[in-house]
Amino acid sequence: EGLIEFYDSFKDMFEFFCKNTTIHGTIRLVCSDSNRMKTAFWTLLLLASFGMLYWQFALMFSQYWAYPVVLTMSMHSEPKMFPAITICNLDPYRFELVSEHLVQLDRMAEESITFLYGVNTSASLFHMNEKNIRIKDLSSIGNLSTSSFKLSQNFSLLRMFDRNNGSGRRHSSVGFRLCNATGGNCFYKTYSSGMDAILEWYRFHYMNIMSQLPVIINISDHEEQIEDMVYSCQYDGEPCRPSDYVHFHHPVFGSCYTFNSKGTDSFWTATKPGIPYGLSLILRAEQKDHIPLLSTVAGVKVMIHNHNQTPFLEHEGFDIRPGIATTIGIQQDEVNRLGGNYGKCTTNGNDVNVKLLYNNSYTLQACLHSCFQHIMVRKCGCGYYYYPLPPGAEYCDYNKQPAWGHCFYQLYNRLRNHHLNCFDQCPKPCRESLYKVSAGTAKWPSTKSQDWVRQALRHQNGYNSTSNRKDIAKVTIFYKQLNYQSVNESPLLSENLLLSSMGSQWSLWFGSSVLSVVEMFELLIDTLVLSLLFCYQRFRSKKT
Amino acid sequence: AMAPGKKITARIKRTLPVKGPQAPTLSELMRWYCLNTNTHGCRRIVVSRGRLRRFIWILLTLSAVGLILWQCAELLMNYYSASVSVTVQFQKLPFPAVTICNINPYKYSSMKDYLSELDKETKKALETFYGFSEGKSKVRRSVDEGNSTGTDFFKQIPLLKFEDFSKTATDLRSGQKRKIEGSVFHKDSSIVNSGDSNDIIGFQLCDANNSSECALYTFSSGVNAIQEWYKLHYMNIMAQIPLETKEELSYSADDLLLTCFFDGLSCDKRHFTRFHHPLHGNCYTFNSGENGTILSTSTGGSEYGLQVVLYIDEADYNPFLVTSTGAKIIVHDQNEYPFIEDIGTEIETAAATSIGMHFTRSRKLSKPYSDCTETGADIPVENLYNKSYSLQICLHSCFQKAMVDSCGCAQYAQPLPAGAEYCNYKKNPNWMYCYYRLHEKFVKEQLGCQQICKDACSFKEWALTTSIAQWPSTVSEDWMLRVLSWDKGQKINKKLNKTDLANLMVFYKDLNERFISENPANTLVILLSNFGGQLGLWMSCSVVCVIEIIEVFFIDSLFIVMRRQWQKAKKWWNDRKRDQSGKPPEASDLERQGHDNPICIDEDLPTFNTALRLPLPQDNPLPRTPPPNYSTLRLETAFTEQLPDTLEVEQH
Repeated sequence: EGLIEFYDSFKDMFEFFCKNTTIHGTIRLVCSDSNRMKTAFWTLLLLASFGMLYWQFALMFSQYWAYPVVLTMSMHSEPKMFPAITICNLDPYRFELVSEHLVQLDRMAEESITFLYGVNTSASLFHMNEKNIRIKDLSSIGNLSTSSFKLSQNFSLLRMFDRNNGSGRRHSSVGFRLCNATGGNCFYKTYSSGMDAILEWYRFHYMNIMSQLPVIINISDHEEQIEDMVYSCQYDGEPCRPSDYVHFHHPVFGSCYTFNSKGTDSFWTATKPGIPYGLSLILRAEQKDHIPLLSTVAGVKVMIHNHNQTPFLEHEGFDIRPGIATTIGIQQDEVNRLGGNYGKCTTNGNDVNVKLLYNNSYTLQACLHSCFQHIMVRKCGCGYYYYPLPPGAEYCDYNKQPAWGHCFYQLYNRLRNHHLNCFDQCPKPCRESLYKVSAGTAKWPSTKSQDWVRQALRHQNGYNSTSNRKDIAKVTIFYKQLNYQSVNESPLLSENLLLSSMGSQWSLWFGSSVLSVVEMFELLIDTLVLSLLFCYQRFRSKKT
Repeated sequence: AMAPGKKITARIKRTLPVKGPQAPTLSELMRWYCLNTNTHGCRRIVVSRGRLRRFIWILLTLSAVGLILWQCAELLMNYYSASVSVTVQFQKLPFPAVTICNINPYKYSSMKDYLSELDKETKKALETFYGFSEGKSKVRRSVDEGNSTGTDFFKQIPLLKFEDFSKTATDLRSGQKRKIEGSVFHKDSSIVNSGDSNDIIGFQLCDANNSSECALYTFSSGVNAIQEWYKLHYMNIMAQIPLETKEELSYSADDLLLTCFFDGLSCDKRHFTRFHHPLHGNCYTFNSGENGTILSTSTGGSEYGLQVVLYIDEADYNPFLVTSTGAKIIVHDQNEYPFIEDIGTEIETAAATSIGMHFTRSRKLSKPYSDCTETGADIPVENLYNKSYSLQICLHSCFQKAMVDSCGCAQYAQPLPAGAEYCNYKKNPNWMYCYYRLHEKFVKEQLGCQQICKDACSFKEWALTTSIAQWPSTVSEDWMLRVLSWDKGQKINKKLNKTDLANLMVFYKDLNERFISENPANTLVILLSNFGGQLGLWMSCSVVCVIEIIEVFFIDSLFIVMRRQWQKAKKWWNDRKRDQSGKPPEASDLERQGHDNPICIDEDLPTFNTALRLPLPQDNPLPRTPPPNYSTLRLETAFTEQLPDTLEVEQH
């Protein structure tokens, strides 16, 4: 027997095929003897079953290629880590380098209020707090001389009257004017309330002043310590350790501390649900009012977030009132998306076009901010102060880029109206943890206990208030239950099931299998080879 | 004449014509199978012309088998998956039980007898460490010095001031410096210690039998240290007081509840059930279902929920035990135990707290879908709480049992197992050290509680949304306080203060019940039809052909092998016999095999089957039994030659 033996003739081949094929039904058409009725009948049957089969296949594949997902919810109860907690004292530093300008700005704000409302209410408001934060390495940044900066008078607050509405009453709004570089295309940034306008106006100037500061401020070694803010810290009944927190300074929320930011230390494992096993903090919640007009809220901002995530306090922060014990119960929810064909999501942000400016793990918020900052640098030539800078760029300053405000507010509006494609460029993360928060409050310290509590704090923690003002707060953050709900996407039609149902359809209508198709394939190849062989033979015989 | 035994075998053979396999040898059997089976691929192995072709077909068939096995295994592995359905029903919802406690467990004024010693000690500690003295005029001297509840024990476990961890500590009583000796295990130093005076306050617990074994407890703030230390002694004192007395000492329903309003109707203390919590004193449960009826609200919204005004007597608070003022509430099912100390929500005084609820019921599938328990009956931990099973209950019960086993007494915050009593250092001087050690073990999961206790399969959850408003408003304050004090004034002559009152509203936000239930995603029918699909897709196989495979490849092959062995054995036996008798062996006997071998053929009379058995064709591709395919072309042509109506198409 040879390696491959070929048939003597086409007839031999077809005979062999008809005898040995495993395809049901249809083969009668070719292989059965010629009865016209029978042939016609079998042809019809074949066509009908073919039609049915491919119709079903089409339905099946169209469903599969739509990549439908089902949501499955499951409860998990394995032990896990306590989330990262960030607390901020809402009191940004008044850096010495820019303090002169801040004083000027406060004076300007005072004038504006007097101009707008006619009353000199601000005398007590702007009593200057003389404590300035000194940056240690002044020599290295000495070239940034303070004199080069000048507060711009171009953006003064104005009152505008809107007479267009039919009610007859005059509605006034307060705002300030922003123009582009050539002084054209001006628009007013207006607010119905003067308070909002003043805060926004102040913030705008504040950003310009702060842009004078070097990008990397080494605040770790100046006098502000965690003891000034956190009087007591306990987790699961044990005191927190020095390695458990990370300090950073936020231009609006002031000094912030993140506990358990890495989430790797076994100290922070959540063992039991309940208040006694959570993180309990006694905080100083009094405002030192370094910069009074930046924020009008007193208290402490708390945010519960995932490990290795940049906390965006402006989005998800939780305010703690002074004089109150707040117990925050958290419950975790997890969302797992399939990604790939089943929907756009990213596992670690590596496949996202936007270069992240935050060196933490990917979040949608971080991507949006980075995207905006990149566009800002490209369009306006400078970076927005509250977001990190891409390499080579510098923060906006109206002495250098007089029109940046105009550019920024327009960009921001476009972002809000989804005209910038940041929302398209930033996919959701494939794996998301959400913390559901609910809080209860009680008065703290109670009248009966406040004397000794204050005394103990005063003595041991450098708490230096003698009055009974509400200036301390207690926060307890705990897991309400350790089991968490996870919502998972899973494919409705897996490949496995698709093949199964294809097989069912195939068997049902056609009675053949993949191997039968291979048989057909073999027949096809044989036909080709045979015809080639015969052609060759004829060619040779002609030649001879 | 046949022996009677042989006769019977002959008869059995005749009536039950059990035939051997279809072929005498293994290779013949395989060939026979491949030609006759319905399964695709096999026939090609045999009929294909050329070795390469044959090899490719063997490869294809085997890979098809492999694919079938792989896919079916995957189907089987995914069999126990559950799909989740969420249904939202609008219906009349039963109102949950609402348990309300004052944050302060017992009236401080009535606790004086029990706590005066401890308070004196605490004040002394405060004075020593912080130079703090509570209002000079009010230094009360307790008269009954004789009733020393536990002075010795305060000495034994004193508050200490540690100076920079130099292993010396200042005793609060004597002011003497003590040297800390022995092996001390303590937590890392805290981040929050004061800037200038680097001293830390804490206490140490020592093993009574072996004083060199000590656990040192330090705290980041003096506030925590004093509270913890106070609580430690407080629990020892409270453990000695019988339950009835404790209930007397705590708040009555009249003390706590000023007004009550439910579903638009007035209610009173009869709707509340007293529940004594070891740490929170008397708590009152609204709608506990104890008298058999469970109330429900007619509609959602704050008007139709529970509205109560609570009287929080701040002046009667224990200053060291609790530092916050207000009430604690918990919303739970009537069958659930309220774990107030763990997950209670706090309520502020001088404020109206409205709590909106959203009801969710969940059900999980138990084994084999997930590891949960329906009733808790299958868990080897005794439920101490007399309420329906939950993970929390199981963990607490498990710990309490371990505590009784190893320390000899029960922890104060959890219910008593039968025959045990609460720990106090009069009877069990060593219990605190034992407890802290045990708790450490528990947290490290060395007690095995976390492994034994499982989740409950079904649970109810009320998601709460809290909002707070100032209450009473400045304009309504005057008349409201007057009316409320008049109401209360019938019992006590005291002017109410708005900081002593708390207004609480608990209501359903809507009457939608969200029911999350897991259902098996696969049934047996679906699994089988998926199996069928896979078998059909790759090889056009079915259950029958699986049986065929089992028959041919296992039973028949085994039979052939057995027969071969039997023949060998028989031959060996015959040879031996022949050697003994001296006869030369017949050469032809050895060579012949299979059908031609007379040994192989049954020795009895020819039956219908044996008579009909044809000798196996040597190179005839036509199988003996009609094949299941439609390949009888040659036979058909033989017939059609005799049929005149088909002659015209015939090419022969």
